[in-house]
Amino acid sequence: MDVSQYLEIFIDETREHLQNLNEQLLVLEKEPENKDTINEIFRAAHSLKGMAGTMGFKRMQKLTHDMENVFSEIRNDKMSVTASLVDILFQCLDALEDYLNHITESGDEGTNENESVIQELNRFLNGEAGTVSDAERKPEVKAQTQNTAAGGAYQPLYKDMVIESYEKKAFLSVAKDGKHIYGITVYIQETCVLKAARAFLVFKSLEEIGEVAKSNPPVQDIEDEKFDFQFSVYVVTSESIERVFQCVNGVSEIAHVLGEEINLENIKFNDEDKEMEVKQAAAASAPIPKQAGKPVINHTVRVDIEKLDVLMNLVSELIIAKNSLVSVSENSDSNLGTGFNEQIEYLERVTTNLHESVMKVRMVPIENVVNRFPRMIRDLSKKLNKKMELFMTGEDTELDRTVIDEIGDPLMHLLRNSADHGLESAEVRKKRGKPEVGSIFLDAYQDGNNVVIEVRDDGNGIDVQNVKEKAVNRGIITPEKAETMDEKDVIDLLFLPSFSMAKKVSDVSGRGVGLDVVKSKIESLGGDVEVKNKLGEGSVFIIRLPLTLAIIQALMVVVGNEKYAISLGAIQTIEDIPVADIKYVEAREVIHLRGSVIPLVRLNKILDIESSEENSGNMTVVIAKKGERYAGFVVDYLIGQQEIVIKSLGKYMNNNKLLSGATILGDGEVALILDVNTLI
Amino acid sequence: MDESKNSYDTNQYIVIKIGQEQYGIDIRYIDNIVRMQKITRVPKVQSYFKGVINLRGDIIPVMSIRLKMKLPEDEITNATRIIIIKPEQQAALGIIVDEVKEVVTIEEKDTEKVFYNAKEDINSFISTIGKHNNDLISILDLNTIVNE
Repeated sequence: MDVSQYLEIFIDETREHLQNLNEQLLVLEKEPENKDTINEIFRAAHSLKGMAGTMGFKRMQKLTHDMENVFSEIRNDKMSVTASLVDILFQCLDALEDYLNHITESGDEGTNENESVIQELNRFLNGEAGTVSDAERKPEVKAQTQNTAAGGAYQPLYKDMVIESYEKKAFLSVAKDGKHIYGITVYIQETCVLKAARAFLVFKSLEEIGEVAKSNPPVQDIEDEKFDFQFSVYVVTSESIERVFQCVNGVSEIAHVLGEEINLENIKFNDEDKEMEVKQAAAASAPIPKQAGKPVINHTVRVDIEKLDVLMNLVSELIIAKNSLVSVSENSDSNLGTGFNEQIEYLERVTTNLHESVMKVRMVPIENVVNRFPRMIRDLSKKLNKKMELFMTGEDTELDRTVIDEIGDPLMHLLRNSADHGLESAEVRKKRGKPEVGSIFLDAYQDGNNVVIEVRDDGNGIDVQNVKEKAVNRGIITPEKAETMDEKDVIDLLFLPSFSMAKKVSDVSGRGVGLDVVKSKIESLGGDVEVKNKLGEGSVFIIRLPLTLAIIQALMVVVGNEKYAISLGAIQTIEDIPVADIKYVEAREVIHLRGSVIPLVRLNKILDIESSEENSGNMTVVIAKKGERYAGFVVDYLIGQQEIVIKSLGKYMNNNKLLSGATILGDGEVALILDVNTLI
Repeated sequence: MDESKNSYDTNQYIVIKIGQEQYGIDIRYIDNIVRMQKITRVPKVQSYFKGVINLRGDIIPVMSIRLKMKLPEDEITNATRIIIIKPEQQAALGIIVDEVKEVVTIEEKDTEKVFYNAKEDINSFISTIGKHNNDLISILDLNTIVNE
């Protein structure tokens, strides 16, 4: 069978299963007796095995099979969960992930047999007293049921047939007429060349005496020869079972027929959406405890991100077209009538909603990235020999898919950083009166038009003095300069390329690639990184990312005779300030506003705009906020709020990050988008 | 239009005028020629970038080739055009020229490599010199214009 078309689905689903296994194992490590978790793990491992087998990935299948055996023993209380067992199981997951990566890259699973892990697993299986025979017997039984035809043993397979609920009625009604229902399994000789034709003859002769109510595999598959050498049917007839056998045996090349009369109570009715594989597992090994209300049907569609990009671009075009209609209607002095304006407003509403929906489709909860971190912290904890725990909040915070894909590595760097440099060893922590187990926090939340992700630890914090010394020793700064630097400047040093604070190079961190990569990655996504630090108490890395990448609500302002857009998300308030209220602090202009001192930024100076005549009375100040810092931007006047489409300025011009792009206004004119974050 | 190329040893060039000199730009790299339009100034960029324009929904940076060649500032006339060039594997870029004259076909044998004693900067923007009728046409090297 050609399975290549399913490869993508296989990869996606395997990833999900592996993630699920990782999470459940972490739970299991803490609560070794948790039955639900064990069942969940068993199910995931079983699905994995089935999928790998279908796709022909034999090594993967073997490994999952052995894992499944272990889980099965645990589930049946024949084995207990120990720390070393969990370790081995984690290793298995890593091995599976390696297989998966190999498959993703090259389409085959590679040749790593992972013998050692499998041996370890089997050692656990055999090591626990009294379980050896069970463990070995079970796979055999399973093998037998799967290869019945090959093994030559005839099994009453009709018993496994499941009647869908919509078929149930038909059965009930015929039974009322005093007819019999027979379950029959027919084996065709393996030498038979045209087995579909034989099966057809069987069906034909059965239909002469009654009705074939249900067959397994379905009739269509049988006609297409999609079955081994047996098939099962339910026959409804008023004749006796002997007569039925006689009919079937009348067809040549039939190896064996077996069957019996079925009572309606014995038929398996499928009232719920029970999965076949669960049923198979139940038939093969010990009965699975019925899981109530677990299957949740997922109403989702997987869509290629490129298709969404196309959709997004179309929406952008639509918004530009709408904006130009708006500006036409504004310029043509109401001689178009109110009907026109109403329609414009209607169009405006529709495009805004459309844009929002498309954005939402592209949004993915950050959970998809962060859910692998608990496992990572667990491993780090063992590797670094420090006790630590990760607390996460806001995993449901959503970000654009393109951001999600990129944000994983920077976050991982920061977490490793916290684990390696931030947290002290247990002894030091004890001495300082801190709990022995260090805590790392990962908090995500939405803040206006931004999403904020904080990585926080209760470790030592950044030793500014230490950083200074390092920087001087390495010749990054002069000792004189070090004297004049404040804490923020020093912390900024950490983000320089090739500045690593680790006292010794480990494979966790400390190779000098880290914070600078984090910073550049975040900035390439249009975000920024901020650090808060308290020596002895810990540090916080705050990542701020824009919620949307392509279309934003913006305030249009005029400076001189140029128009600029400022993202509405950054703006706190807009104030009318008398020129006389400007005060000077360290020769910089500031204003005093409701208890806080806000530095003023004259946009015409920063943007080299020939200043229009200095107005003497009031000036319009746009107050913007970044984290906890404010700045006031002096503009000439405001045009208003507008939905704008961000377009890149391209790579030819270098503009010192002052601008985050450009947009096209309704009249076709280009306006530049100010990135006020860089100016605060 | 004849789709098939005449032969591979001839090239077509658009002849433009900058000051008194005629330059040729390989037609394969030309995306569009538009009339002079409002250019939105972009602050704090290289001085030879005049700003950006909106070309059917795309933002295109516009460069003054005169300033790039250290010639006097452009004089905008009715003949001034913006040529949108699209170098291989790079984004589109507009360059301001005084005038667009014609399209010429120059055979490869009629072009000559230029060797200078590297006194004047402007020479480095020229890849070859082509002969057409009795005119000499300096063929612009787009890569150096775009990348330096």
